[in-house]
Amino acid sequence: MLDILSHLGVGFLNCFQPVNLIFLFVGIVVGLLVGVLPGLTLVMGVILVLPFTYAMDVTPAIVLLTAMYVSGTYGGAPTSILFRIPGEPIHVPLLWDGYAMAKQGQAAKALGWTICAALVGGLFSAVIMVTLSEPVAKFALTFSTPEYFAIVLFGLTSVVSLGGGSLTNALISLFFGLLIATVGVDATYGTPRFAFGSPILMDGIEFLTVMVGAYGVGEVLTRLGEGFTTVPVETVGAMKTRMPSFKEAWGIWMTFARSSILGTVIGIVPGAGATIASFVTYGVEAQYGKRKEEMGNGIPEGIVAPQAAATASVGGALIPLLTLGIPGSGATAVILGAFLLHGIQPGPQIFITSTAMVYTVFASMFLGIILMSVVGYIAIKPLVKILDFPESVVSTFIMLLCFIGAFSIRNSISDLWLMVAFGVVGYVFEKIKFPIAPMVLGTILGPLAESSFMTTMISFQNDWTIFFSRPISGIVMVLTVIALILPLMKKYRKIRHMKKAT
Amino acid sequence: MRKNMQKHLVMVMALTFAAAMLASPFLNEATAQDKYPSRAVEYIVPWGPGGGADQLARKTGVLLEKVLNVPFPVIDVPGATGGTGITKLLAAPADGQSIAIYIADSHAVLATSTASWKMTDIMPVARLMLGPSFLFVAENSRFKSWADFEKEAKAKPGTLKVATLGFGSVDDITLTFLESKGVKVIQVPYSKPSERYVSVLGTHVDALYEQAGDVRQYITSKQIKPIVVFGSQRFPAFKDVPCSKELGYDVGLPQFRAIIAKAGTDPKKIKVLSDAFGKVAATPEFKAFLEEQYATADSFMNHEECTKFILSELDSMNKTWGSKKKK
Repeated sequence: MLDILSHLGVGFLNCFQPVNLIFLFVGIVVGLLVGVLPGLTLVMGVILVLPFTYAMDVTPAIVLLTAMYVSGTYGGAPTSILFRIPGEPIHVPLLWDGYAMAKQGQAAKALGWTICAALVGGLFSAVIMVTLSEPVAKFALTFSTPEYFAIVLFGLTSVVSLGGGSLTNALISLFFGLLIATVGVDATYGTPRFAFGSPILMDGIEFLTVMVGAYGVGEVLTRLGEGFTTVPVETVGAMKTRMPSFKEAWGIWMTFARSSILGTVIGIVPGAGATIASFVTYGVEAQYGKRKEEMGNGIPEGIVAPQAAATASVGGALIPLLTLGIPGSGATAVILGAFLLHGIQPGPQIFITSTAMVYTVFASMFLGIILMSVVGYIAIKPLVKILDFPESVVSTFIMLLCFIGAFSIRNSISDLWLMVAFGVVGYVFEKIKFPIAPMVLGTILGPLAESSFMTTMISFQNDWTIFFSRPISGIVMVLTVIALILPLMKKYRKIRHMKKAT
Repeated sequence: MRKNMQKHLVMVMALTFAAAMLASPFLNEATAQDKYPSRAVEYIVPWGPGGGADQLARKTGVLLEKVLNVPFPVIDVPGATGGTGITKLLAAPADGQSIAIYIADSHAVLATSTASWKMTDIMPVARLMLGPSFLFVAENSRFKSWADFEKEAKAKPGTLKVATLGFGSVDDITLTFLESKGVKVIQVPYSKPSERYVSVLGTHVDALYEQAGDVRQYITSKQIKPIVVFGSQRFPAFKDVPCSKELGYDVGLPQFRAIIAKAGTDPKKIKVLSDAFGKVAATPEFKAFLEEQYATADSFMNHEECTKFILSELDSMNKTWGSKKKK
């Protein structure tokens, strides 16, 4: 333990070297910017920056990429909360409560909660990363495709709380999303599905196109339909509180603890990253939280859970990367690439051969999370000020961002048409009070669920009981089943209760 | 008054987008007529980030930029044994603005006849790497050697699991060849490299079919070890590991990584690219990379040689796969 502390101390000193400090700051700011642009995901951002790191020393290179990874898990939050446009898929669950809270006139407060959650989740996972790396890394290896499938399936059950009251509508919307996710060449056998010979459909429909269209374009269309007369969310002058008080935060310490732990664990799992962490934790909060009934109506728990988990997943994902050389998520795969291109092979030996570098990266995590929170905090006021601008002007910029985002996914004009089409779908859903969230959830998690299910079936020769007989996947599956049955039970009891009354 | 202004704004916005969308194809045409390449060339990797193809693209992308003075942005498009990425390449016009990594595993899909593209759709540009494939087991595996593995596979056919890249890949051809010789295993496809490696490190599968370069970090840190190399000779870096031919399995489809463009691309442009890759392959940086990746020293082939090589590989794949089909 003392050993670790002294190494970490040296790491902190190294971090304060100008080169490292500059790249840490650059990484944080670029990560935040990447997060703001819908369509330009965190992983794409890290990939874009990777070539710039070739000419750098290995330590600042890794510090830069890690800093981007950390701050990218927060960067998409402001647009989700203020405009109902998730800058990252990670922030889809966040906007359910975040935007609702902003509509109640507490945009600044919602942003405050987000920062608070990112700070707590991030620091928690960083501590775990430094102290428990080696024993925890072995745990990562126990996960295989049945576990991935169980976790993703559990993430899908968070729809139960998203239907705006109607489970039927939520399920219809979810299956529509899953159907969209199957379009294109299938990942296991390479069969084209629902492609109708069109090259664009062969490529599949990117979940980003659906997400940006249904939320971003859909929202602008809705506002346009109302003649841009929505009551301003909040005026800056009326805004008093921003960060939650210690008392408020302590009041939901269970949510913080649960989400940080869960986020770290999901980060460690090689097949899952920040996005799944955020969805699953929201689902857990909606199932087992103290105020589960109010989820989706703008309560802090709904903001804290996904954000704490998303940032916590970063520390988790770095554990198997550094100790075993296994990238657990898209962003860590790129960081692994940076290591390899610098001739360093992550693995158990890295703690002995490159001690200084590893602990500098560790220390930069702590500094990065704190720095990100400070930058995020300073940015709240100017961000909320945007809401004072005329809505039509803001909407124009939102549209512009949506188009840039959708185009940057794979540089295809057809994606823009698809995005507009999903914008119309989002608008119509909104009009007839049909839930959009489950559809987006289905398109994001659908492909992951499919490939892990197929691989499991092949590996275990079509024996579906394997999902229940393996301990970890068994537990998650049971939780999933409970999550699906519980609302039905409640409904049944309500009906019986009503019958008795008459 | 205010309403009016908003209407104008919406109109202006709509017109701007319309104009931008209309103008973009003309812009492309105008610049393409000049010197090639005059702007960024899209470098498609039909595999996930972090894998061997991805590392190759990122290494050569930087070196290419120095030769041709335009950036080569790498795009990872994983799925369907490379089919998704190749579909992307073929969806773009044949103007030399997109190239893709083409590896033996994707090529094998042509032989196994589930491909979404044809040999005539693509144009080989150059071969960059050639290296044999191995079967690896975890260091703590109960299989100490190929003999152990072979014995159990023959005693209990269809129970041992081998992680592969996907169906219809070289892995599939080689393993189905082994099956025809009595060594029957379950193939488990993992298209993401990280999941494939976890599967063997966490002993969710019994062995991994892979090229040595892709799993170097696990070999040097003694987490996995090779038990057999496929081909007619042992690999210099692993002298104690038997080759498949000496064990009586005459199969050796080497892994290759080549570059392709869409068929119909101007031959002059192909030559420019082929020559540029030749210069890249001659750099000491790339030579060191080849050694690090456990690839052979004579890996590079230009456009003509590579085209011949790829066609002859397809022939031998067809033979191996065909002989299995008849049985």
